[in-house]
Amino acid sequence: MENFEKDKEEEKLKSRKVKRMLALAVTGAVCVSALGACGSSSDSGKSESTESSDSGESSGGYGDLVMAWWGNQVRNEKTQEALDKYKELNGVSVEGQFYQWNDYWSKMATAAAGNSMPDLIQMDYSYIEQYVDNGQLLDLTPYMESGALDVSNIPENVLAMGEVGDGNYGIAAGVSGNCLFYNKTVTDELGITMTDNMSFDEFVEIAKQITEETGYRANVLSQNNYFTEWSRAEGIPIVEAKLPVASADEYTPFYQIMEDSIKDGWQLTPDYIDTTAVETDPLVYGSSPETMAWCTINGTSNQLTAFQSAAPEGTEIAVTTIPTTDTITSNYLKPALYFSISADTEDPDAAVALLDYLINSEDANGILLGERGVPASTSIADYIYDLVSETEQKSFAYVTDVITPNCSPINPPDPTGMSELTDTMKKVAEKIGYGEATAAEAAQEVYDKGIELWGE
Amino acid sequence: MRSDSKLYKFLNKEKSAGVIFCLPFIIGFIAFLIVPMGISLYYSFCDYDILSPPEFIGLDNYIKMFTGDEVFWRSFKATLYFALVSVPLRLVFALIVAMILVKPTKLTGFYRAAYYLPSIIGGSVAVAVLWKRMFAPDGVVNALLGVIGIDTKFAWLGSTKTAIWTLIILAVWQFGSSMLIFLSALKQIPKDLYEAAEVDGAGKVTKFFRVTLPLLTPTIFFNLVMQMINGFLAFTQSLIITQGKPMDSTLFYAVYMYQQSFNYNSAGYASAMAWTMLLFIGLLTLILFKTKRFWVYDQE
Repeated sequence: MENFEKDKEEEKLKSRKVKRMLALAVTGAVCVSALGACGSSSDSGKSESTESSDSGESSGGYGDLVMAWWGNQVRNEKTQEALDKYKELNGVSVEGQFYQWNDYWSKMATAAAGNSMPDLIQMDYSYIEQYVDNGQLLDLTPYMESGALDVSNIPENVLAMGEVGDGNYGIAAGVSGNCLFYNKTVTDELGITMTDNMSFDEFVEIAKQITEETGYRANVLSQNNYFTEWSRAEGIPIVEAKLPVASADEYTPFYQIMEDSIKDGWQLTPDYIDTTAVETDPLVYGSSPETMAWCTINGTSNQLTAFQSAAPEGTEIAVTTIPTTDTITSNYLKPALYFSISADTEDPDAAVALLDYLINSEDANGILLGERGVPASTSIADYIYDLVSETEQKSFAYVTDVITPNCSPINPPDPTGMSELTDTMKKVAEKIGYGEATAAEAAQEVYDKGIELWGE
Repeated sequence: MRSDSKLYKFLNKEKSAGVIFCLPFIIGFIAFLIVPMGISLYYSFCDYDILSPPEFIGLDNYIKMFTGDEVFWRSFKATLYFALVSVPLRLVFALIVAMILVKPTKLTGFYRAAYYLPSIIGGSVAVAVLWKRMFAPDGVVNALLGVIGIDTKFAWLGSTKTAIWTLIILAVWQFGSSMLIFLSALKQIPKDLYEAAEVDGAGKVTKFFRVTLPLLTPTIFFNLVMQMINGFLAFTQSLIITQGKPMDSTLFYAVYMYQQSFNYNSAGYASAMAWTMLLFIGLLTLILFKTKRFWVYDQE
């Protein structure tokens, strides 16, 4: 006790200066902890239903699994239902974790760093190479050979979509194509027919007419899919050899199209565009023509169902090819997304069994109904065609009848760093939209970013 | 246990008891704050993409930040603007409401709780989403403007001039915690000072500027320092409401840091950004403390 008293005495004797120093130190500590809190709160905000990827292996043998995906409301509900069904049939419970696109990749990156990725993950063409390079995915080849994963009904070219290097790391969960979604109710009222494989000039004429007569504008600017299609048609690679092109001038014509579209008034300006989710896309969200789009390039054809269900009552959404100068060259079939198995999984056999269920089971696909694109397995695709809604049949037909006969091979998978270039391209498109950059300046900025990322 | 054993003696010392009782905090502080901070300091000198092991590159991250990254400067400016505008506004607002609520009436308790509420919910994701909808072209704000005769489809979040102000308004709205601190400080001002001032013929305005405000300066100082620190670390609003749009005008520092780390997988660069911000806030706090003697009334 004397010690304590003594300390107290000493404390009193301390000068005011020392007190100030202490106060400063405390403030410093507070600001440090606030900085720390910022990091952790951002994390906890994302992870409401997570942190359990390692709680899965509690029961022996076929342990419980975790499956993660990004998506929309329709996908979340259907996938969860299919997983519930799996538990009913096989007694293995699978916890579903779903996020929006951006949050999903943040979550996967941190989980990968901690070797705690979910067992079964939804994978994208733009990320698969990066994850394989870092050894995060399980090679599925041995399981295909042993028959644990039945791929007998999957066509060779679709199976090949999962090949990276010497292994096969993903089964296409669905096949789809880039596309233009449009409001068919609006075009029908004006007596306009949108034909597939339309040329860009024809499209511009229609776009001008629609804006003039209804006030709706087109939204082909905000996402980068149009850049991909355009560059394929013009034979200008974006990222094929990592270093983009010889000079920025090659991109200028693309941004010139964008600049003109804003000047001519048929292009929706970025202040009305929020494409973070299908549900907020101006194609379906908004209450008056001047804040909405009559067509959008956002996502792949399998999202038709999601757009249709997000659309207001009485509006029909339809799908057609993205207009370019040469649609046969620009169009391509792509895996809408993959199912991959994490290399971290504790029980690869159980994860493979779940994957096999999702791909080959009529029970599962009778629930999923091709929301992720036309099923890779042809027999499943045939099985569900009669079960799906009219909207989904249209989305299937788009892939099998419109894209498949008139397309060229897909670009190689995106290299690491692509997400940063993608963001730059979106920002540049935004600048054009606000009239803050000319086509040449925009092309230069994208080119410079490419050099920064991949240049010598 | 024998009373003369070494362990017994150790445990019965005044100091060891204190240390043992503090241990849960000390362990947590070291494991969850000091160690991660040390690691992040190391990462800030590395090229680290989260997926593969970090690679030491010296000061390259810092050099790139200050010389080759326009977005960094844009985000820094946006954050500075946000903090320097929203914090003083919020303090003024908090003080005004506190002055009104300091007079006891039957409903004072209710009002104090009601005005404090935004502080609790204001930082949440739900409110951020609500805010986004309110300022949408078809949102409540434009509908209300329609009622008073201004018919507009203006996209408040789509203009570089107005987008950041929607975030500032949201921040000012969360004035509750500062208000409570002001309230308690206002109550502690001795009544006799006001009486003395009245005897000297001071009016309401003079009393405020000559008695209330000087005695509140220590509280204002405390609020200013705390809110400034929070202002520079603002994250949720920018991430959810604007995603930094339009054209990075609302891209807050913490959001850009998050993007670098988790969207572009440049965790090393993001760590360097975190340390730069830490040093900046430390410096700013130091400057604020240095100015203290010029305007903070010290009762001691």
